[in-house]
Amino acid sequence: MSNNIKYWKGEEELAKDPAFLAARKNEFPDALPLDEVLGEDGVELNSNRRDFLKFFGFSVTAVALAACYKTKVRHAVPYLVKPDDVTPGVASYYSSTCGSCSTACGVEVKVREGRPIKVDGNPRSTVSKGGLCATGQAGILSLYDTERLANPVANGAETADWTKIDKLVSDKLKDIDKAKGRIVILSNTIHSPSTLKSIADFKSKFTTAEHITYDAISYSGIISANKDDFGKAAIPAYKFENAEIIVSFGADFLGTWISPVEFTKGYVANRIPTAGKTMSKHIQFESNLSMTGTNADERFPMKASKELLYLGSLYNYLAEKAGNKQIPVPQSGELAGNSIKKTAELLWNAKGKSLVISGSNNTAAQKLVNGINMLLENYGKTIDISNHSNQFKGVDADTDNLLNDLTTGKVSAVIFYNTNPVYSHNAKWADAIKKASLSVSFSSTKDETASVCQFICPDNHYLESWGDAEPKAGEYHFMQPTISNVFNTRQSQLSLLAWAEATPKAENDPFASKAILSQKLSASPYYIYIKSNWAAQLNNNEAFNKALHDGVWSSVAESKPVSYAGDVTTLTNEILDSGKAIGTDLILYSQVYLKDGAHGNNPWLHELPDPVSKVTWDNYVSLPKSLAHKINFKEGDTVNVKVGNTTLNNVPAMVQPGQANETVGLALGYGRTAAGKVGGSKEKGFDAVGVSAWPLISSKNGGRSWFTNGVEITKGDESYALAQTQTHHSIEGRDLVREASYSEWKKNPTAGNDKEKTHVYTIWEKRDYRKDGSPNHLWAMAIDLNACTGCGSCVVSCSIENNVPVVGREEIRLRREMTWIRIDRYYSFANTSKEIDGNYVTREKEIGQIDQADKGDFAHWENIKVVHQPMMCQHCSQAPCETVCPVLATTHSTEGLNQMTYNRCIGTKYCGNNCPYKVRRFNWFRYNDNDKFDFHFNNPLGKMVINPDVTVRTRGVMEKCSFCVQRIQEGKLKAKREGKSPNEVKVETACQRACPANAIVFGDLHNPESEISKLYKNERAFGVLEEINVQSSVKYLTKIRNTETI
Amino acid sequence: MQRQMRTLVLAAAISLSVSLKAEFKASAEEGKKLYEANNCGSCHAMDKKVVGPALRGVTERRSEEWLIKWIRNNEAFRKSGDADANALYKEYGGAAMNIFENLSPDQVKNILEYIKTAPKPVAPKAAATVEGDSGKSDSNSLYIMLALIGIFVIVLIILGKVRNTLRRLAAEQDGTAEDNAKGSFIKGLMPAKLAKMNPTVLTVFTVVILGGIGFVWSYKFGITEVGVQKGYAPKQPIAYSHKLHAGDLKIDCKYCHIGVEESKSATIPSLNICMNCHKGVQKASTAEGDEISPEIAKIYKALDYNPEKIGAEAFGQNPKPIRWVRIHNLPDHAYFNHSQHVKVAGLACQTCHGPIEKMEVVQQWSSLQMGWCIDCHRNAGIDAANNNYYAALHEKAAKDLKDHKNKSQYFGPDGKVKITPAMNGGLECAKCHY
Repeated sequence: MSNNIKYWKGEEELAKDPAFLAARKNEFPDALPLDEVLGEDGVELNSNRRDFLKFFGFSVTAVALAACYKTKVRHAVPYLVKPDDVTPGVASYYSSTCGSCSTACGVEVKVREGRPIKVDGNPRSTVSKGGLCATGQAGILSLYDTERLANPVANGAETADWTKIDKLVSDKLKDIDKAKGRIVILSNTIHSPSTLKSIADFKSKFTTAEHITYDAISYSGIISANKDDFGKAAIPAYKFENAEIIVSFGADFLGTWISPVEFTKGYVANRIPTAGKTMSKHIQFESNLSMTGTNADERFPMKASKELLYLGSLYNYLAEKAGNKQIPVPQSGELAGNSIKKTAELLWNAKGKSLVISGSNNTAAQKLVNGINMLLENYGKTIDISNHSNQFKGVDADTDNLLNDLTTGKVSAVIFYNTNPVYSHNAKWADAIKKASLSVSFSSTKDETASVCQFICPDNHYLESWGDAEPKAGEYHFMQPTISNVFNTRQSQLSLLAWAEATPKAENDPFASKAILSQKLSASPYYIYIKSNWAAQLNNNEAFNKALHDGVWSSVAESKPVSYAGDVTTLTNEILDSGKAIGTDLILYSQVYLKDGAHGNNPWLHELPDPVSKVTWDNYVSLPKSLAHKINFKEGDTVNVKVGNTTLNNVPAMVQPGQANETVGLALGYGRTAAGKVGGSKEKGFDAVGVSAWPLISSKNGGRSWFTNGVEITKGDESYALAQTQTHHSIEGRDLVREASYSEWKKNPTAGNDKEKTHVYTIWEKRDYRKDGSPNHLWAMAIDLNACTGCGSCVVSCSIENNVPVVGREEIRLRREMTWIRIDRYYSFANTSKEIDGNYVTREKEIGQIDQADKGDFAHWENIKVVHQPMMCQHCSQAPCETVCPVLATTHSTEGLNQMTYNRCIGTKYCGNNCPYKVRRFNWFRYNDNDKFDFHFNNPLGKMVINPDVTVRTRGVMEKCSFCVQRIQEGKLKAKREGKSPNEVKVETACQRACPANAIVFGDLHNPESEISKLYKNERAFGVLEEINVQSSVKYLTKIRNTETI
Repeated sequence: MQRQMRTLVLAAAISLSVSLKAEFKASAEEGKKLYEANNCGSCHAMDKKVVGPALRGVTERRSEEWLIKWIRNNEAFRKSGDADANALYKEYGGAAMNIFENLSPDQVKNILEYIKTAPKPVAPKAAATVEGDSGKSDSNSLYIMLALIGIFVIVLIILGKVRNTLRRLAAEQDGTAEDNAKGSFIKGLMPAKLAKMNPTVLTVFTVVILGGIGFVWSYKFGITEVGVQKGYAPKQPIAYSHKLHAGDLKIDCKYCHIGVEESKSATIPSLNICMNCHKGVQKASTAEGDEISPEIAKIYKALDYNPEKIGAEAFGQNPKPIRWVRIHNLPDHAYFNHSQHVKVAGLACQTCHGPIEKMEVVQQWSSLQMGWCIDCHRNAGIDAANNNYYAALHEKAAKDLKDHKNKSQYFGPDGKVKITPAMNGGLECAKCHY
C-alpha cells in the first residue's frame, strides 16, 4: 500500500512559480561566471583582439616557462624534542568538555600535530552521550578566529603585559573594596566547581563582591516555578527515554531547549519502531514551526499568548480524571478537533510514563506544567528534580535589578564573564557600564560589551583551557587543553585569582623537570588549582588522570521523593487574562545554530541552512500564509514589525508553512554589531548579519517573555532576497520519501514501503559488487528517517572533516552552496482529505491541483507535516555520473565507493547534470586564499582547522561525498597493521559520528554481523529512486508516525 | 744451592721488572687502543667536560690506585664510602659511569698512560652556523650563459643575413647582380636535388619534420621531466651523512625514523633522538682533537644546548628548530602512507629510497611519478598468507587457482604465483587520491 501524500519543498514549488520552474530545469544556475573567475586574477572578460593576442602570447610564454619550472624548495621542520604522545601524521584524541554553551556536553577532541581539528561527542558523557550539536561542532572555529584579541586591553590600548593590567585592576578593586563599593561579577551560568571556587576566593578577598548569573536565553520561568512549588530553584533533569507520551508546549527540546543533544538521545531511544517495544508518541503545541515540531507525530498550531489557557484546560481534563479540584477556565480553552482533550486522555493512560513540558518563560505556565506532571505522577520517573540540571541558573530579575543599580551608580565595579548584555539584554547597558569606576570584560573578542569596558582580559578558548563542570547534579565533566595558547590570553579564573592574590603556586608542577619545550608549556597554575580542588574525591594522580582521560566522573546521589507545595488555582487570573489575548503574536525564538548569538562570527553556523526554513545568513519574520495573503506579501518583500513603541522596519520575511495563524516568528541571536568580519562589525565596516530582535523582548512578571501579543505587521517598502536553499536541487515531485503510520506498521512492517518496483532496466551489463568486487569490503550506509531530527550536526561535521569551503550569502542565492550533505525537508499538508481522482498523474500535476483547490482560504497552511531526509552521494553501483565523465575522473571502486579524483577532473560538470540525486558540487571559484571569500580559508589562522588528510579542492573541479574515504583507508590500514580480519575494521563517517540521533549507520555489507547488514534487511529499508535502478549504496528507512492514519 | 736459588729469584725479579718496564713503554699505544675499544670517548674528552669530566691531568688530580678502583667499578668504590668518589658522583648529577671490571689494573694503567701522553688539540675551526641551503640549482648561471651565447649566435646569423641581403640589393642597383639564384645563402648550402624542389613544399616539409621532432621532445620532456625531481639532492642545513650513520655504523633506520611503522610520514627525527648519542659523541670521527664537530655543534645550537653543563641546566631557553629541505615532495592530492608499505607490506626502505646507506648526501632516488607507483602495485606480491586481513583474498586466490578461474592473473612475469596490490584494489583512484 502506498500513500498519496503530496510532498513539496517550498512554496514556490507548490505554487509553480515561473522563475522556479525555469531554474529547476538546470542543474547549474548559470553559465560559467567567467568574468568573476578571471576577475580573481585581475583580468577582464571583455577583451579585444589585441588583448587576446597579449594573453595568447603570455600563455605560450608561461607554458614554456612552467616547463622549466622545478618544484619550489619546501622545508620540513621537525620537533626539537618530540612529545612522547605525539607521532606526526597520527591523530591523538583527548576528552574534554564543550565550552560553546553552558549545556557542557562531554566531547572528544581530535588533535593532529598539536592542533585540534575536530570535536565530537564523548560517548562516556551523560550529557552528549557521544553526539554533538552543530553549534558545538562549529565551536572549534572560534579557536582559530582572527577576531580574537591577541593581548589584553587597558583603556582601549592593547598591551602584552598581564602584570601591568593586574596591577591596574587590583589597585582599583582594593580602593573600591576599601570604600565598601559594590563589585559585581556578571556571568552566564557557571556550574564548574573550580570556577565557582575561584569566584568564592575572589569574594573572600573582596568582601563586597557578588556573583550574578545572566543567561540571554534564560529558563527563569522554570526556576522560579520550581522554587515556589518544590522549594528548589533549579531546572529538573528530564528523562525522555522513559516517556511514552511526550507533550511539548512550544519547547524546542530537540533543537535549542536546555540540553538538546541529551534530549535527542533520550527521545530517539523510543522512536524507532521495533517489534516488542512501544514507540513513543510526541505531541507538539506551538506557534512557530520549530525543528522539534517537525518531528512530532501530531502537531497542533497554537497561539503562544493563549498557552496558559490551553495548559489550564489540559490540567482540568486531567484533574477531572484524577478527581482533583479544577481551575475555572473559559470554554474557549480547546483547540480544533478537541486536541487538548484527546491529549489528556493519552496522557492519563500513560501515567508515570509521560512528560509534559513548556518552552514558556512565564512562571505561571511552568507552574501549570508542574501541576500537570504531578497529576500524571511523572516526578521521579520522567522528571528528576532531586538530581537536577545545573545547565542554566540565571534568574531574569537579578539582571534587571543590576542594570538599575548600575544606572543609578550603586555599583562601583562590574566584571563581565561570558556575557554580552549590551547586545543581548538592553542597549542601556552601554551607558550604565560607563558609570562604574571599574569595568572589566573577559571576552575573547572585542564584543559589544567588551568595547565599552575599561579593561578586556581575554579568556582562553575552551580548547586551550583546564576546567571542570557539573552540568547535572553529581555528574562531573573535565576539560583539558588540546593546544597551547594561540594568543596572549589567560583563563578568566586565573585573572580572578590573580586579583585576589590567590594564584596557585607552581611548586607541584608535574612537568617542571622535563627539558626545553615542556619548560615553555609548563602546567598552567589553574591545572594545579583544579587538582587541589579535586584532591578530596580524586586523591591520587592516577584517579585524577583517569577522570581527565575519561572526561567524566560521577557521584550521583540517590533520587529523593519530591514534596509538592504548588497550588495551580492561584493562577486563575493569569489564565483568564491569557484567554483574552487578541491580535497577532510575535514569537522570538533562538535559532538552532546561532542560539543566543554568542557564536555570531562563525561562518559555518551562518552557512548552515535553518532546519525548517532552509534560510542561511539571515533571520527573517516567518509569516503564516493567511497573514501574508492579507497584507499582500510576495516572496522577496520585507515587513515592518511594530511592538509597542519599538518598530523594526524592512525586516526580511518569508511565508512559513506551519506557522500558526495570527502569529509571526523572528529569531534572536542575529544582528551583531561587534562580532567581527563574518557576523558584522560597525567598527570594521562589516554589515551585521540579520537584525537584532532583542529590543523587541518584553518583560512579564519579572521574566523575559519570548512572545508579545498585539504586534502590528505591515508590508515594508524594500525588497530583500533571502538566501534559501530549500528548493535548490529540486526533485521535481518524484517519489523520494516514504512514510506510514504506526498502526499500519504494526499490521504490516513494510507499510509505506511496498511500492511495486517499476522500470528496472539498465544500460550496461549488470554489475554486482557483492560477487565481483573486493572480497574484503562493500561499504554502505543506512539512514533512519524516523530518527533523523534534521538538526544539521552532520552537515557541519562533514564540512569540517572534508574541508568544505564556506561560500557566503550571495553564492547561495545563486544556488552554489558547497556542502556535501544536505538535509532535504519535505512539507505535506496534514489533512490530505482532498483525494485525487483515480488516474495516475505526475506528482507535479497533483501539487498543482492541491494549489488550485486552495483559492482564498489559507488557514490550513498552519497544519503541516514534515519529513527530513539527509541526502548525499548515494554511491550508486550503476552510477549515471561515471558513464558520462569524459576523462574517467569519477569511477567505481571494488569496495562500492563512487570515487572522485580531483586531479583528473577537467570540470565539464556532465556528472553533476547526470546525477539524479543532485549531490555533486562544482567549485566555481578557488575558495581558499581568496579574499572574496573572507571567512576562514583565506588566513593562516583559520586554515589551522583544515583536515590534513583531505585535499583542499581548487576551482574548476567537481566534488561530492566520498563516504569519508580517508577514514575508511585509516580504518583498513589499522586492521592490516594489527593483522585483523576485514570484519574487524571499524569506520565511522563524520556525519555518523556527529549524529545525536544515531540516524546514520555506515558499515560493511560483507560482514553479516554488522549493523548495516541487518538494516539492509529491515522491512522499512528503501532506496531513493529505486525505479531508475542506479543501485544506490544508501538505504533509507521509512518514516513511521505514531498515528492511526497518515 | 741457596745462593743459586737467590740468584735465580733475583734474576727472575729483575727480568720481571725489566719486562714490566718494557710493557710500560708500550702502554700509551696500548692505552689508546683500549681507550677506543671501550668507547671512553663517548662520555669523556681530554680537555673539557662532556658527560664525564675532562681527562687531561687526571693522573695528577688523583692517585693511580684511586683511579684504578674508580674506573674498574665506581659503584662498589662509592659504596665503600670513599668521600671523593661520592662527591664526584654528585657533581655529575648522579650520572653513573659504566663498570669496567673487564679491564685489568694494568690495562687501566695503560689507558692512564695514554691520557698522559695524548696530543694537545689544534686551534679550533670557524664557528658553526645553522643555515640551510636555499636548494636552488647551482647551474642556473651556466644556463643563463648558454642562453646568452645562443641569442648571440642567432643575432650574428641575422646580421649576416641582413648584410647579404643589403649586399645583393646594392649589387642589383649597381646592375652587377647575376641572374641565377646563386644569391640565396641557404640554397647555396643545399644539395643540388633539394635546391631544385618547390620552395613551398620544401618549407612545409621542413616545418613538419622540425615540428614533429619538437613535439616528441616536448612530450617526453613533459612526461618525464616536468615536476619530476629524481636525483634532487639539495644541500641540507646539517651535513648529515646517511653513509656514516646507516652504512658504516649500521644504525637501524627505524631508530631515528620512528613514524615509519605507524604513521603516514616516516618523520624526520626530532633532535632529542640525535642527542641520545650526540650528548656523548661530540667530535667528528676524523678529528684528532676534542673540538666539537661543526655539524654536531649545529644540533647544540638548535637546541640551545650547552655541552659544558650537565642535565636539565644544559638546555637553554632559545631553541631554534632546524629547517630541513624537503627532498620528497608529493603533490597534495596524492596520499602516501609509510606504515602501509613498511609495516604491512614489509618493504625495505631501499626499495623506494635507493642505496640510502651509501649516500653521503641524500637524493631522491625514485621518480615518484604515478606510473612508478602503479608498476609496483601491479607487480609486487602481497604476503597474504601471513596477515589475517588478506585471508579472504588469499582464499579467493587459492580457490581460483584450484578451479582454473582467471588463473593467469596470479602469475607474474617470472612465473611465480602472487597476489598483487592491484588485485586488492590497489589501482583504484581513491586509494591514494581523496
